[in-house]
Amino acid sequence: MTVQPATGGIGRGPSPSGLADVIDTILDRGLVIDAYVRVSLIGIEILTVDARVVVASVDTYLRFADAVNRLDLAAAGPPGLPEVVQGVKQGAIGDKSKEIAQGVLEAAGEKLRDYVGERAEEREETRRRRREER
Amino acid sequence: MGVGTEQGVGVYVYGLVPEDVEVSDDALGVGDEPKELEVIRHGKVAALVSEVSLDRPLGTPDDLLRHEGLLDATAAEVPVLPLRFGGVLASREAVVDELLAPHHDEFAAALKEMEGRAQYVVKGRYVEQTVLREVLEENPQAARLRDQIRDMGEDAARDARIALGELVERAITAKRQTDTQMLLEALTPVSALSAVREPTHELDAVHLALLVEKERQAKLEEVVGDFAERWAGRVEFRLLGPMAAYDFVMSSTPGGE
Repeated sequence: MTVQPATGGIGRGPSPSGLADVIDTILDRGLVIDAYVRVSLIGIEILTVDARVVVASVDTYLRFADAVNRLDLAAAGPPGLPEVVQGVKQGAIGDKSKEIAQGVLEAAGEKLRDYVGERAEEREETRRRRREER
Repeated sequence: MGVGTEQGVGVYVYGLVPEDVEVSDDALGVGDEPKELEVIRHGKVAALVSEVSLDRPLGTPDDLLRHEGLLDATAAEVPVLPLRFGGVLASREAVVDELLAPHHDEFAAALKEMEGRAQYVVKGRYVEQTVLREVLEENPQAARLRDQIRDMGEDAARDARIALGELVERAITAKRQTDTQMLLEALTPVSALSAVREPTHELDAVHLALLVEKERQAKLEEVVGDFAERWAGRVEFRLLGPMAAYDFVMSSTPGGE
């Protein structure tokens, strides 16, 4: 289990989580200012970042079916080379690595450092994941 | 005239706090050239704001992380009502005249309720191989389909694969509901409020937001830790927080006054 308090526990630290978690949280939650303010709200353009919604589709079904069919192969032994290579590749890309490396204890500080170095890729990755999850 | 009424400059509002809150001098807001975080006070409430240039859209990863980072760091210390990302007013005066003054009592009451509390988010994701094995064991129809597909050609198997995948997806959805309910029941004694979030991934097992007394964080960690142990190798857990109570603030007066 990975516990991610704001750096150092209660009371300190910047963001407790990665970009994907932030997007889950702040884009469609929180008080909406235009419920309170009518006159001077400035309609500043917000870059479109859709909240990710999971909708099961034929793609989802096929992916699950293929995962089921791979089960016995995986049980037969350690992952083959292609899987290993894929794991490494994905692990190197910011946001995706969070999925892959789940369960690995990561300090929030480390995550932020990773993020700083791979910002552009991470943004791209977020988009791609959203498409996959449609 | 406030500085905020200058051409091309707005006042970005992060959230609402009690009036006695102060911000450190080096705290910066959103934007390419972030300005200092400021507190605009009125009566017992205040708004956390910073000037923002209006010449580019908001919403870069930095902006999003900054918004949540500021609010979460605040929530760890003091009560805060977080605003949704992207609220910009024309001037500092507007923040008082339109936001703080007309809703002063409502905000003050909500901040009082938030005293000593913060939000935590529990995310659990199924380990794919484990959950798929469970589904095959529990669902003879799925196991049968799997065996049939083995003996078919790639094309002939497409319909069967779709049927199998749909069965699996439904089974996982049912597991998600059961497991979410179980965890929610265990967490209810620890939480002041709870909310079930929509899954954001097809292998999500649980996705919960909880409003918890910050003093009880250790207890919360203990309960989630127990489940992580019980479901080791089956569900990977993450516990986020303390953060601002994004899931628990609601506009009781939609449309304003």
